[in-house]
Amino acid sequence: MKAKRRVVTSGGAPTRRRPTVRTIKPAILPATRRVAPLAPTAPPAAHSGNGHSGPATAERGTVGAGPTLPEREIDLSVELGRGLRLANPILVASGTFGYGVEYGDVVDVQRLGAICCKGTTLRPRVGNPTPRVTETPGGMLNSIGLQNPGVDAVIAKYAATWSRWRVPVIVNVAGESIADFTEVARRLDGQPGIAGIELNISCPNVGKGGIQFAIDAEAAGAVTAAVRRATDLPLLVKLSPNVADVRPIARAIADAGADALTAINTLSGIAVGPGRTRPLLGNIYGGLSGPAIKPVALRIVYEVSQVVDIPVVAIGGVTELADVLDYLAVGAVAVQVGTAIFADPTLPARLVDELGAECRRRGLDGYESLIGTALPNRAGPPSAKGVEYRP
Amino acid sequence: MRLAGAELIESREILPGQWLQTFRAPELVAGARAGQFVHVRTGDYSGLVLRRPFSFNTIDPVAGTLTIHFRTIGRGTEWFTRLRPGDRVDMLGPLGRPFEVDPRTRHILLVAGGLGIAGVRSLADEAIRDGRQVTLLFGASGATDVYPSSLLPDEVEYVVATDDGSVGHHGFVTELVADYEAWADQAFACGPLPMLRALAGLAASRRRRLGVASLGRKRGAGRPIPAGSTQARRRAFLQVSMEQNMGCAVGACLGCVVMSTAGSPQRVCREGPVFASDEIDWEGGW
Repeated sequence: MKAKRRVVTSGGAPTRRRPTVRTIKPAILPATRRVAPLAPTAPPAAHSGNGHSGPATAERGTVGAGPTLPEREIDLSVELGRGLRLANPILVASGTFGYGVEYGDVVDVQRLGAICCKGTTLRPRVGNPTPRVTETPGGMLNSIGLQNPGVDAVIAKYAATWSRWRVPVIVNVAGESIADFTEVARRLDGQPGIAGIELNISCPNVGKGGIQFAIDAEAAGAVTAAVRRATDLPLLVKLSPNVADVRPIARAIADAGADALTAINTLSGIAVGPGRTRPLLGNIYGGLSGPAIKPVALRIVYEVSQVVDIPVVAIGGVTELADVLDYLAVGAVAVQVGTAIFADPTLPARLVDELGAECRRRGLDGYESLIGTALPNRAGPPSAKGVEYRP
Repeated sequence: MRLAGAELIESREILPGQWLQTFRAPELVAGARAGQFVHVRTGDYSGLVLRRPFSFNTIDPVAGTLTIHFRTIGRGTEWFTRLRPGDRVDMLGPLGRPFEVDPRTRHILLVAGGLGIAGVRSLADEAIRDGRQVTLLFGASGATDVYPSSLLPDEVEYVVATDDGSVGHHGFVTELVADYEAWADQAFACGPLPMLRALAGLAASRRRRLGVASLGRKRGAGRPIPAGSTQARRRAFLQVSMEQNMGCAVGACLGCVVMSTAGSPQRVCREGPVFASDEIDWEGGW
């Protein structure tokens, strides 16, 4: 019932030497880069249960690497800008992991790439009426409504804990006005334990503010620029899928000084309640997440990563390593795991292991060459204009 | 809170559409108390993205087993009915805060509406083990939904009300409470929201109507006890087990809240599922 684990062939004997470039700047990678051909790996040793090792030994022998070769050191680290360096590209998504403390001993948070905490606003919010969550085919709808104790309480309660962690904590920031966003950013600036800010300009579940900043390029650029002036913290901006074309918005945010983009927030949706007399959720509208939205998120990451030069962090329906690899292939440098945590809290840490194993299997030192492999070929970096919006 | 595999031992349909399943999960049963719950993962290929929360219906720490009781209401519960003995599921638990029985309580009144029986059932075992007298008032829509008395300990006094009068009292279970509220030292309830709301109203006016002192009046008199603390709950006449659609069940997603009288949302999975009845704003609050 567990997710499939890849068998690591420790004596995998890679033959190709690749330059070890550690800093990942994916958006400007030459598009001609393709996945390195699979190294001639030996069949899993565990399967030779009959005692004789068969052709595996012979093959290993030909490449001159004995089965005792030490495991290759894989560097999964990634830089998201302004010195925000993650040990690995697997983040946990805002709203699905609380403040990092809730899962207790069940999850070793130190193994994660980063934690994006629950959306935080200037003043406390009680959130939306219940029901707030419901399952849908291949996904779920939520309309929490940004319930949180306010930025000051979050800092007072959690910053000290976070500062003792090796894992960076990125505070997800929401607001009703540009002034709200900048004030929260100002209060977070310089606090120990806070590694960055993720601007939540795309929450579909609140009346005022929220999504209005993410559906208009000018407004998105303005709020990003204002927050950029208010803080030196690394700044991620989370895009909404609830737009006709996300590319002009992504460009405006990048031009306004964001260090990275997160794509995507939830898709707006509704469910019908029991008896079919009214919508199910207390707030009527909710945000759809989970595997159901992965194709949409893939499309948006694919579009966005071609028009901006800043890193793109993908999010949407990641439940296994194949999803991570898909997002890397369309240009993401890192991924966030969200809804899947509810079913399997240990998934993010396991994905870190599996990504490392996958690199090892392919004979890679890092996962850099897995990024952007499914993007269209182009001669060099994208033009300053990028892809123009055609309605 | 632990994450562990649980092996299905027995699965049977005790009433039409209602199932009782026994799992062996020693790690989860150790230290589990009545009122707490487990969050159970459905299979990888079920297409279901959320776990399902179930109250501990019974807990057997010696055998390392627990039972869950549920009605088939959707794909998730249907999935569980297709499990076979020997199948393993992934359980997270024990979660939430348990019922708090005052050490001086001798007479316990349990009130259950329909599937709410699953929320208070294990408290009957606990109370009898501790030498208390237990009366269970059970309400259902009709005879086909009445919990079989054979599944209850012999020591429990079992009184049934049905909406259609096919078994026991004809009417709501809350109408039976008047006969027992003077006898009971504490009451514990689980069931539909209107039932709990009615019981909370009765509990709030009980002292005035019956002229009885509330528990724990003398000890620590005058010292403020924070609402929601274990101590405050232990002193409450009525404790209720609340239900909400749940996401993570550990307090991270804030999906399953109820509004408190103080105006701050309380997480059913973390501050609950058991609350003192006076902690909750029964009229809504938002």
